[in-house]
Amino acid sequence: MTSLSGRTAVAGIGATEFSKDSGRSELQLAAEAVLAALDDAGLAPSDVDGLVTFTQDANTEIAVARETGIGDLSFFSRVNYGGGAACGTVLHAAMAVATGVADTVVCYRAFNERSGRRFGQPNTGIGGEPSSQGLEMSWHAPYGLLTPAAWVAMFARRYMHRYGATSEDFGRVAVAMRRHASTNPAAWFHGRPITLEEHQASRWIVEPLHLLDCCQESDGGVALVVTSAERARDLRRPPVVVLAAAQGSGAGQMMMTSYYRDDMTGLPEMGVVGRRLWEMSGLGPADVRTAILYDHFTPFVLTQLEELGFCGRGEAPDLVREGGLEIGGRLPVNPHGGQLGEAYIHGMNGIAEAVRQLRGTAANQLDDVENVLVTAGTGVPTSGLVLSRDR
Amino acid sequence: MSEVVVGSALPTLVIDLTPTFVISTALATRDFTPVHHDTAVARAQGSADIFLNILTTMGLVERYVTDWTGPEAELRGIKVRLGVPAYAGDTLTFSGTVAEASGGEVTVEVTGAVSLGAHATATVRLALPEAA
Amino acid sequence: MTAGTPAGGQESTAGEEAAEPDTHGHLMALADKAIGAGEGPRTPAPDPVNPVMIRHWAEAMGDANPRYAGPDAVAPPAMIQVWTMAGPGGRAARASRTPLDDLLGAFDETGYTGVVATNCEHTYHRHLRPGEHLTAGTRMTDIAGPKRTALGEGYFVTWTVTWYSQDEPVAEMLFRLLKFRPRERPAPREPYPLRPAVNRDTAFFWEGARLGELRVQQCAACGLLRHPPGPVCPSCHSTERAYVVARGEGTVYSYVVHHHPPVPGLETPFAVAVVELPEGVRIVGDVVGCPPSEVSVGMPVRVEFREMDDELTLPMWVPGGES
Repeated sequence: MTSLSGRTAVAGIGATEFSKDSGRSELQLAAEAVLAALDDAGLAPSDVDGLVTFTQDANTEIAVARETGIGDLSFFSRVNYGGGAACGTVLHAAMAVATGVADTVVCYRAFNERSGRRFGQPNTGIGGEPSSQGLEMSWHAPYGLLTPAAWVAMFARRYMHRYGATSEDFGRVAVAMRRHASTNPAAWFHGRPITLEEHQASRWIVEPLHLLDCCQESDGGVALVVTSAERARDLRRPPVVVLAAAQGSGAGQMMMTSYYRDDMTGLPEMGVVGRRLWEMSGLGPADVRTAILYDHFTPFVLTQLEELGFCGRGEAPDLVREGGLEIGGRLPVNPHGGQLGEAYIHGMNGIAEAVRQLRGTAANQLDDVENVLVTAGTGVPTSGLVLSRDR
Repeated sequence: MSEVVVGSALPTLVIDLTPTFVISTALATRDFTPVHHDTAVARAQGSADIFLNILTTMGLVERYVTDWTGPEAELRGIKVRLGVPAYAGDTLTFSGTVAEASGGEVTVEVTGAVSLGAHATATVRLALPEAA
Repeated sequence: MTAGTPAGGQESTAGEEAAEPDTHGHLMALADKAIGAGEGPRTPAPDPVNPVMIRHWAEAMGDANPRYAGPDAVAPPAMIQVWTMAGPGGRAARASRTPLDDLLGAFDETGYTGVVATNCEHTYHRHLRPGEHLTAGTRMTDIAGPKRTALGEGYFVTWTVTWYSQDEPVAEMLFRLLKFRPRERPAPREPYPLRPAVNRDTAFFWEGARLGELRVQQCAACGLLRHPPGPVCPSCHSTERAYVVARGEGTVYSYVVHHHPPVPGLETPFAVAVVELPEGVRIVGDVVGCPPSEVSVGMPVRVEFREMDDELTLPMWVPGGES
């Protein structure tokens, strides 16, 4: 069996501006992002024969194809589980390209998550359908446990209890992300860093999470062009190779509420992704220059550091306290400012940042970037990537 | 008619309370109160439906007992304690027991029940000239 | 006059209850006046006793008594009140107000708007024959109250009607009704907005909650306890399901205090916990009965069932464990 490793590459990235009110439809955002990514790659819509998006995306592949002038499609696919889909779209695209099902696949995600339907607002109908997910939600929603912040807070409280982590430890993640964003012109919070005191003083959303533990809500779209590594070498930009790609779900998995497993302080699904990524890439935690960790809520950044092997169990608060996530730290995390600082585009903007870091074109460019690890949504079945410079 | 013995039961009478029955008896007793013929009005006043009027309840108790005695009975009086309403669509079931019988004077205890409970609890006094 | 509500005329056993003194005095004064007035003016029946109305009555009642038909027909005794019923114009069609009318009006004006008939008693002196012209006289005889009843506080008002043929009394009716102040009905409960989806795999849990039982699914084959429940035992794959009723005690394993955004049906802040049961499963529920700030990991709690609306009961948790 041949490995997927190294056979495909991200050849183009594109995005709309990130805002709180895009002033246009989600389909328009998707089309703009797709066209921008194709332009970045030096490809035309007619070169595209595959499209992948999130199950949650409101723009069908065929609608995006119509708007952008993409003709025939031989591959289209959707990846489930909210933000857990982000890196999974690249995995699906890479599999399609590596197997010859498609030549050029565009992955996209676009929404008006701030000006349209806001994920942070209670959705009282969430448990209303006796689908398996509706039934799963029904053990929590009637109790008012129905916002992402609340679901994550439940894990965070147990983590604090188990390891003695504090709200300041979560706050330090937010401070680092906002510092990175402050020097990234594309970030919503460009020029607006925060202090730990401001974090601590921000209002409670769901204890133990303050407002500044929660990522922003954004309007915008991001698209990525995936093609074979070989073909990418002939295109406009230096290829960013998909060295490893994986999806993961753990035993006893639920959507955001996996409270019934033995331990509530880890993210076993991210452990699955991490093991697969290290195995496929032949790399280890010491080999990545920077990690793009999904940061919709600060506590799960700590958990991911542990699940992916960047530190031991319960040691992430120490890593954060010593400034490990800062640009000059042991493992710079989210140099673009992450979803806390740049924008919340369901993790897709993080993949684009990894590509920029490997191309050497990032706003907060790190030196000697050879490999970047990227993760997708936490608390849900998720996915990850190791992207590398072409060798 | 069966022998008049204290404690003996009357055969039951079941009346289907169709809307037609409720309305035609209300009009035959010259009771034009809307709750006995106008469903919308009845419901607006908090009732489940149109319902039997009291004059009809009295008439039905009489019919129930005289169906049993035969036409020769002389009714002396009917005392009714009123209970739950008898709504259209329900069924009114009469049952009765001979409570007293002496010298041709007979007292019958009657219950008219609907699905909600007792609609009427009645004591009927009558004279049976031929009863010993 | 009609028996009006499902509660009917059932008088409660509750005792006397004072109305406002002036209202009570006012009503009693009017009642005394009505009783003192004795029998009111005799109202003539619009038609003499006649075979047409008798036949209509007997047909409608389904009464086949042969005495009500034929040349020697008599009127059904229970038909007595029919002869003097007002037409569709009702009471308003009558000539003048009586002291009894004044009393009934005063009840309405003082909030005793509810009315339900409780007793109707006929006494028959003889059969009536077609051609007899009847009149009816009404006399108020009694008032009792205020009394607390199932319908609300009220007064029982009794009057008697005597029917005359010429001057001969031929029948009487005692009529009693309750004039009551309709009890403030509790507004129908708003459906609780956060409703669980329920299907055949989970219904047992919610039915148990309604009965005050915290049910935990148990595999009928291998005995595995499991929450949340599901259709197939993940251990032995049996689909035979049973449940045990948990003791209803537990320990807070983790918790959150929700502040923002507002959640329909709940007041913020509120605490939600993952509770670990001694039976070996975890369950999520709100912690109530103490300020959210007093909730902590490791805190002993016990279940309390809260009716959220007419259909949904949620198991929730209050501080305190094994007593």
